[in-house]
Amino acid sequence: MDQHQHYQKTTTMDLIKDLVVRLSPDPSSNATEKSLKYAIRILSSRISPSVTIDEAAIAESIKRRLVNEGKSSEALTFADLYSKFSSRSISNRPALLYLLKVISDDRRKDRSSDLLPSALLPSLSDPKNTLENGHRTTAGGGGVLLFSKDPENIREIAFREFSDLITEESEIPEGVLVRDVLYACQGIDGKYVKLDKVSDGYALSESLTVPRSTRIMVRKLCELGWLFIKVRGYISESMDRFPAEDVGTVGQAFCAALQDELSDYYKLLAILESQSLNPIPMASESNSGNYLSLRRLAVWLAEPMVRMRLMAVLVDSCRVLRGGAMAGAIHVHAQHGDPMVQDFMRRLLRRVCSPLFEMVRSWVLEGELEDVFAEFFVLGQTVKAESLWREGYRLHDGMLPSFISPSLAQRILRTGKSINFLRVCCEDQGWADAAAEAAAAAGTTTMRGGLGYGETDALEALVSEAAKRIDKHLMDVMYKQYKFKEHCLAIKRYLLLGQGDFVQYLMDIVGPELSEPANTISSFKLAGLLESAIRSSNAQYDDPDILDRLRVKMMPHGAGDRGWDVFSLEYNAKVPLDTVFTESVMARYLRIFNFLWKLRRVEHALIGAWKIMKPNYISSDLFSKQRGTVTSQFVSMSRQCQVLWDEMNHFVTNLQYYIMFEVLEVSWSKFLEEMETSKDLDDLLAAHEKYLNSIVEKSLLGEPSQELSKLLFILFDLILRFRSFADRLYEGIYELQSSLRKSASRGRGKPMSRSDDKKSKSGTWVGEGRKAITQFASEFRRKMGLDFDTIAHEYKSSLEGFIAQLPLQQHGELLKAHLSHTHFPDFVSSSQ
Amino acid sequence: MPREIITLQVGQCGNQIGMEFWKQLCLEHGISKEGILEDFATQGGDRKDVFFYQADDQHYIPRALLIDLEPRVINGIQNSEYRNLYNHENIFVSDHGGGAGNNWASGYHQGEQVEEDIMDMVDREADGSDSLEGFVLCHSIAGGTGSGMGSYLLETLNDRYSKKLVQTYSVFPNQMETSDVVVQPYNSLLTLKRLTLNADCVVVLDNTALNRIAVERLHLSNPTFAQTNSLVSTVMSASTTTLRYPGYMNNDLVGLLASLIPTPRCHFLMTGYTPLTVECQANVIRKTTVLDVMRRLLQTKNIMVSSYARTKEASQAKYISILNIIQGEVDPTQVHESLQRIRERKLVNFIEWGPASIQVALSRKSPYVQTAHRVSGLMLASHTSIRHLFSKCLSQYEKLRKKQAFLDNYRKFPMFADNDLSEFDESREIIESLVDEYKACESPDYIKWGMEDPERTLTGEGSISGTVDPALAM
Repeated sequence: MDQHQHYQKTTTMDLIKDLVVRLSPDPSSNATEKSLKYAIRILSSRISPSVTIDEAAIAESIKRRLVNEGKSSEALTFADLYSKFSSRSISNRPALLYLLKVISDDRRKDRSSDLLPSALLPSLSDPKNTLENGHRTTAGGGGVLLFSKDPENIREIAFREFSDLITEESEIPEGVLVRDVLYACQGIDGKYVKLDKVSDGYALSESLTVPRSTRIMVRKLCELGWLFIKVRGYISESMDRFPAEDVGTVGQAFCAALQDELSDYYKLLAILESQSLNPIPMASESNSGNYLSLRRLAVWLAEPMVRMRLMAVLVDSCRVLRGGAMAGAIHVHAQHGDPMVQDFMRRLLRRVCSPLFEMVRSWVLEGELEDVFAEFFVLGQTVKAESLWREGYRLHDGMLPSFISPSLAQRILRTGKSINFLRVCCEDQGWADAAAEAAAAAGTTTMRGGLGYGETDALEALVSEAAKRIDKHLMDVMYKQYKFKEHCLAIKRYLLLGQGDFVQYLMDIVGPELSEPANTISSFKLAGLLESAIRSSNAQYDDPDILDRLRVKMMPHGAGDRGWDVFSLEYNAKVPLDTVFTESVMARYLRIFNFLWKLRRVEHALIGAWKIMKPNYISSDLFSKQRGTVTSQFVSMSRQCQVLWDEMNHFVTNLQYYIMFEVLEVSWSKFLEEMETSKDLDDLLAAHEKYLNSIVEKSLLGEPSQELSKLLFILFDLILRFRSFADRLYEGIYELQSSLRKSASRGRGKPMSRSDDKKSKSGTWVGEGRKAITQFASEFRRKMGLDFDTIAHEYKSSLEGFIAQLPLQQHGELLKAHLSHTHFPDFVSSSQ
Repeated sequence: MPREIITLQVGQCGNQIGMEFWKQLCLEHGISKEGILEDFATQGGDRKDVFFYQADDQHYIPRALLIDLEPRVINGIQNSEYRNLYNHENIFVSDHGGGAGNNWASGYHQGEQVEEDIMDMVDREADGSDSLEGFVLCHSIAGGTGSGMGSYLLETLNDRYSKKLVQTYSVFPNQMETSDVVVQPYNSLLTLKRLTLNADCVVVLDNTALNRIAVERLHLSNPTFAQTNSLVSTVMSASTTTLRYPGYMNNDLVGLLASLIPTPRCHFLMTGYTPLTVECQANVIRKTTVLDVMRRLLQTKNIMVSSYARTKEASQAKYISILNIIQGEVDPTQVHESLQRIRERKLVNFIEWGPASIQVALSRKSPYVQTAHRVSGLMLASHTSIRHLFSKCLSQYEKLRKKQAFLDNYRKFPMFADNDLSEFDESREIIESLVDEYKACESPDYIKWGMEDPERTLTGEGSISGTVDPALAM
């Protein structure tokens, strides 16, 4: 076998040698030797195609390549040759074709890029020149190929003449201009293209004679350089200021992103520059070489130009902006129809926004405000725990990028706030689990860099998941750990006097104390009384924690104030509940308490008045068989009193009903409903605010009903006056009665008529004579009658005024409906 | 400082309804028959100390005095499951045990004689309470002990505890059937006088109407005393719910009664209750809403006073006041709506001389008593038609008095000794003036009604004595 192989080899070797020698112009030269070696190496190498060779496909691909390279005539020649070749009965035709193709490829690769070694023929780089020479010889010198090229030459010559003409027209060769432009694009003045300070742009100096079109083109291309300087200037300027805070992380990210874009740009320029080294072929040359002409450069630079222009615009618009505002400004430019621009902006924004999104993430999941440069749209400030929720954090609209909607921003703000609230005010640790759960649910990890620009949905999902869980957790903590509802109920029961028995006892026992001047009252004593009111009413069964928070509060008092004017209760809502029950809220509660307390006091006074003239008193004394003139006049007077009492009682009772059914209970049940549906603390605060406002307004304590409220308090005072009047009246009557009875008992047995009988002389007044008694009685009656008339009259007119004003108020109609049966009987004047 | 209320149950009827009342209260507060708080009764929110106090061993003891002149009923109580509930010191049975023989005078006289014993008990109870609100007297006005002794007690209480409230639950006799107590009209009249003068509030429980309700509403062909008494205990417990379950308003008896009784003499209240059920009876359960309950309460058939049912002068009759105590799960917002609806439909005829409207008190329901209805309501009302009940009493009295019948029984006692029947005349006069006053309330000029009187009296008096000082004539 060896023998046979050897034989074959020798014969093949000889044949090849013959071939090379024949083709070579100078058979004895060194080159021939090299070519021979090369040929031998090729033939002895075992190249084989990766796929099965298809003769037609190879032929087709060769033909196409030739066409693509602009050598259409060669392609034609090849087609001709191939048809001849295929008509012969040569074995291994496909292999042969493949061989030729590979050799040709190898040659092309070597020429176009030295960097990439041929994968197929690693060791064939060496003899390329030889082969090239050989090929050229083949093409150029005689033989078969030359024959078909003849007609092309005429056109080629014409082209060459044309380009010679052009070259003559301009002073500067195009290649130089291209290089200059490339320099300019890097912000460097070229030989001819220089930065013109006047027109603020690169241009060819006027003195040079170049075709107008070239000048314009150069100018156009050099815009890129101008833009580049601008962008680069911004970057370096920002870089210099990095430690200073007015750049911020977003600004840094922006610079970095720009820098990256520029480095891409540099790469391009480098390639272009290397290409520019290739000489620009004449127009006639249909050579496909990688040269750069101004026109080609224009094509190359079209896309970078767009980018650079965008960057310059951004740089301009962002120069004074920071943080979220910067991201927002960039985002505005991203709203572009061109997909290329969109892509570019998206890439840029992803970078720019990453610090921002990181802030959002850590804020929403950890409650951390990592915002050294005040770039985030959430602003924090140190406040006391009680006002943390309301004042601790707020949105900074200027820093809110437009791609985050205000509602989303609100949610972001609230979520982080909730975490901080939980951490600071509630001393709760459970939020971390909730946050982890939220992150898991949203599909992102709690790790950094999970989010980016353009993933608004993901951000929303994360925020809403986090918000949902954190808020729920916060609500749970508020309701369960801090018993929000129970405290609200306690406030309703004690400050809004819902616990009737408690209020009654309190009224009973502090009443005497409060009638004293305000400055003589000891609040310690009142606290003790409060305690005993709690102990003796059903309040004693309440949670001790709640009862501990209930305190007596003495308001600042002025001269002449009675205890009634300064006494009030307060409820000490500790952290975190004082977020809801802030001082201003408690002040409003206090106002409601004062109003209700006064109302209760008036009611109490009326009940007291009723007790003075209660049935078995009056009936047995006034309606007994003794029916004298004085008695009957007192009877009529006492009836007037009763009717006025009824009038007042009706008013007060209906006011109470109104307060209870229309104000307190209705507001409370609405509040409960809203409490059920509140998802976060803001909702809860709003619900509570609404509850409180509705009570304040409906109780006529709001701003618009000041007049009414004044009238109401006048009415209350009148009722209190009536109470003391009734006290005096009945005291007088009873005294009179008893003295009359005494006289009657002493006079018993005397044969006198009944009326004379009870006026007989005895007892204190009786001793002064019958006349004295009757005089005293009539005088007393007259005086009381006058007093009564004044009170009745004033009451009537005030009530009329009050009711007339009611419809003017928002809630007046309701109250009026309650008082609708109030009317004014004509009091028969008893003073005549 | 609960506003304690001491209950005095006098006579056979008084003790029977009293016992039913305490049974009901024990059930509602989760207190066992022995007076011990049941294990389940932990929910609180109720006030037991208004009607009960706790003994040293934590037993709850009713603030109740059981008084009778014959031992039958009280013995029955002492042999019942509730024997350990009451304080034995608070039980008074007359030594001779002969009762009052359905004679008011006898009851009154015996009352006078045992005043010290009974007032000792009352004082002891009163001293045992921090801020006594008043007394509740349960009795009937027809018999001997409840009416006679009750009358005496009313006078004494009025005298001694003049500042405390005195409320009575007075059972009026059944006028539809002939009573075995022939002197019933005498007893009623004499008791009515004390109820008019010495009580602050009288809740009229009309046996006639209670029977009617039992027959018509509960479909009991022959209602027993126990069954009518359970109606009474329902009313009594319902009327005290606001005291026992404190809320925003109406937490004391005075507050409750004050608005109901604007004019002192018109303090006779009638009651209505809905929905009515009796333990053994499986009633059809209907939907109960606030409006529904309020409307039913205004219906005559639910009112427990018979005079109301057959008012010929119904068009004249007017409500002086109404208080509806609504128990159960009530949405407060419904109350106002219901009231407006009722007002729109003009379902209620109120007096014209003063302001009046339906008052509503909301109260919780006992968590320990299961009822089929979500909402139940009690109406306490002062209505002028109640005068017909008194007129009826008067006319019955007149009939008997004309015949001078059965007066001998009364003459045996000091008050009527020497044939001095002025007490009868005076009582009649007072009841008549009471009827007049109720009638006057129906007119818009009620206020002036009192004013006409003096002129007449004056002239009358003037003619008699002729020595009246001119100053008094003003």
